[in-house]
Amino acid sequence: MKRAVFLSLAVCLALTGCSSGLTIFSNYRRLEMIELVRTVTVDAAEDGVNVSICGTAGEKQEARMYQNTGPSIGVAMNELTLMPLGRQAILSHTESMLIGEDAAKTRLDEVLDYVERFSEMRLDTGLFIVRDGTALDLVSGVAGKETPAADVVAGLAENMPKVGEGYVFSCREIAASLSENGCALIQCVRGEKEEKLFEDRGDLNIKPAGFAVMLPDSTAGYLTEEETLGAMLILGKYESHNLDVPVEDAVLTVSVDLVKPKIRPVFSDSGELERIRLELELQSNLVSMDGLADLRDEKLRRKVEEKLSELMGGALEKVLERERTLGLDFLDLEGICERREPIKMEDMPQRWEDIFTALPVDVSVKSVLMRTYDIIDPPEISGKEEGSPWEKLTESLRGS
Amino acid sequence: MGKTDRITERQLRVLLFVSLLSPMIRILPSAAVMLGGRAAWLSPIAAFAAGAALLALTRALRKNAPEGLGLQDMAMLGLGPVAGRVFGVLSALWLTYYGGFLARSAAERLLSTVYPNGNTPVFIVVMLLAAVLTASGLTKTVSRTAEVLMPILLGVIAVVLVFAAPDISAENLLPVTYRSWRDILYGAAPIFNVTAGFGYFLFLRGHVTAERAVRPTAFPWLAILSLIALAVTFFTLGTLGESLSITMENAFFMVIRNIKVFGVIERVEAVVVAIWIVTDFIFLTSILMIVAEIWKTVTGVKRRSFFVPPTAILSGAAAFLTARDAFEFLRLSEFIVPAISLAFTVVLIPAVMAVGKLRKKY
Repeated sequence: MKRAVFLSLAVCLALTGCSSGLTIFSNYRRLEMIELVRTVTVDAAEDGVNVSICGTAGEKQEARMYQNTGPSIGVAMNELTLMPLGRQAILSHTESMLIGEDAAKTRLDEVLDYVERFSEMRLDTGLFIVRDGTALDLVSGVAGKETPAADVVAGLAENMPKVGEGYVFSCREIAASLSENGCALIQCVRGEKEEKLFEDRGDLNIKPAGFAVMLPDSTAGYLTEEETLGAMLILGKYESHNLDVPVEDAVLTVSVDLVKPKIRPVFSDSGELERIRLELELQSNLVSMDGLADLRDEKLRRKVEEKLSELMGGALEKVLERERTLGLDFLDLEGICERREPIKMEDMPQRWEDIFTALPVDVSVKSVLMRTYDIIDPPEISGKEEGSPWEKLTESLRGS
Repeated sequence: MGKTDRITERQLRVLLFVSLLSPMIRILPSAAVMLGGRAAWLSPIAAFAAGAALLALTRALRKNAPEGLGLQDMAMLGLGPVAGRVFGVLSALWLTYYGGFLARSAAERLLSTVYPNGNTPVFIVVMLLAAVLTASGLTKTVSRTAEVLMPILLGVIAVVLVFAAPDISAENLLPVTYRSWRDILYGAAPIFNVTAGFGYFLFLRGHVTAERAVRPTAFPWLAILSLIALAVTFFTLGTLGESLSITMENAFFMVIRNIKVFGVIERVEAVVVAIWIVTDFIFLTSILMIVAEIWKTVTGVKRRSFFVPPTAILSGAAAFLTARDAFEFLRLSEFIVPAISLAFTVVLIPAVMAVGKLRKKY
């Protein structure tokens, strides 16, 4: 019996792939024989599709790029993963996929299908659409000698929500949105030629270019910068950004740091969906000031807040208008309303598809300026000008 | 029943628990979400209630049965030697097929998740070979193995779920209202089908020692199993949403694939695959033991291990012949096999026990 167990274990060991020579079935790869891919690009080609993979940089090793053309992504990728100078490309750590504008129009569903189906890929891979050029050109253009394109793209993806310029949706979010809403938002980027300020960077600089509204097999439209900001605010993808608020003789640069969107459907007595109420609460902080403005003055602060509300409200109005004109619920207002009032939404006599393009949305934005950080007043106000609040306070303290 | 091959109540329950984790992770959450939609994450609660009711019924039916009797002994006693043997043969044939189905299912899952270019027959043969060796031994050896493995399995599931938590979105789990009760019940059906699998383990009850100090109740184990079902459904649905959870055959695995541990460690799915293999192996071994136990009682042959290799060969044949490809196999695993299993565990087994009870045989 023991002999039988021993023999069986020996056979099983040979099957596991833990030995490089004897194995019958092997999934084992030596480290020096693999090319770890972090970025994948997909572009339209005459005979099908052009894909490229971008590896990772190591010590004394530049990040390598390889490309291949094939009739489909699967075929092109299959040949490509075996090409890298005798190494095998591993896609399991792919962080981002960039699709050229033309390929996105026709091959988005194929890209998502590939990611969902192929066991090496992950659904959390971030997806970009490259505008005004090919994804391959952009990725090869931004990479420096020691800075792989993957680092540049990853840095952009992380920082975009912090400056209010976009959000990289993952393949999971895009596939779910396409399946549930029939459309999805995808972050666009473009390459811009800029002066090379340091050696280790490419000729191109990668810039956010708003959201694209995508259908499974076509592009419905592209959102402007302002519309993209509005979409981020509604979808809760916004983190922070700075904007200039002109008041009286000064321009205040304000950082909008905390946003709370509240969306409520409003129903008539007969249960019909009449309108949607969108309330946005903003908390902002003063970053810098050009000119003079006494922020101890409450009236002035209210002015700043009103102006801020106006600016942010404008972004919301614009994106809501775009949703109506496109006739696509890419903001998932239906889902938001359903979660808010599930019973009433279920009972309403109208069909969402029939009414949402004409549904009024009341937008109200409430801004609060929270703080000015360490500087209470600019020196010009507290130190130099006569009758400044600081002077008054000092005088009254001296008097008492 | 040999005095040497005795297990405790607890060991039987652990064996049952570890075994049922295998189909639980396999079918969830796709099957539950397909039937229950967005409300499916609440379905394990309803499934627990149904499972507890079936458990209570089974306990009531075998309340006065003499100690040391397995289900096959009870069937022979309750139905008479001929009808009892017919029931035994029927059960053995079904479970032999079911064992093959399990082996094939495990192999298909490995192929579609981590070894895309792998070889199904190799996986099936290796798993059956390992199961034959173990099932040829004592019941207590397998039960002890399950006991040792259980904390590891629970630990891994807990850790994996903790790191999957940040991806959960409330938007994917709501709305659920009082009107969702029908969806919740629909979603509970496949989960209940898995938990009802404890009926198969009644065939091994003859090995259980009479320990009066231990409360003979499996409710806590059923509760933990349902809790795991709830966690798996909640996390997958919360991360992927309704449509993706239905689309993917191994949606829970997709969630695991995306896990990042402190932003440093990625691709931890191998650990989950190990869980699958362990639970599949324990379940398959248990099935082989159960079938051999049935044949032993039906034929009167003293050595149970005599029946293990032929059962494994037949199960292997069933695994190879049951479907030509993954599409056919999917069709089988979506409805036909679960339906037969449900008929066995919820209708046939309680019915056989009820007949014996009505005839006042125990």
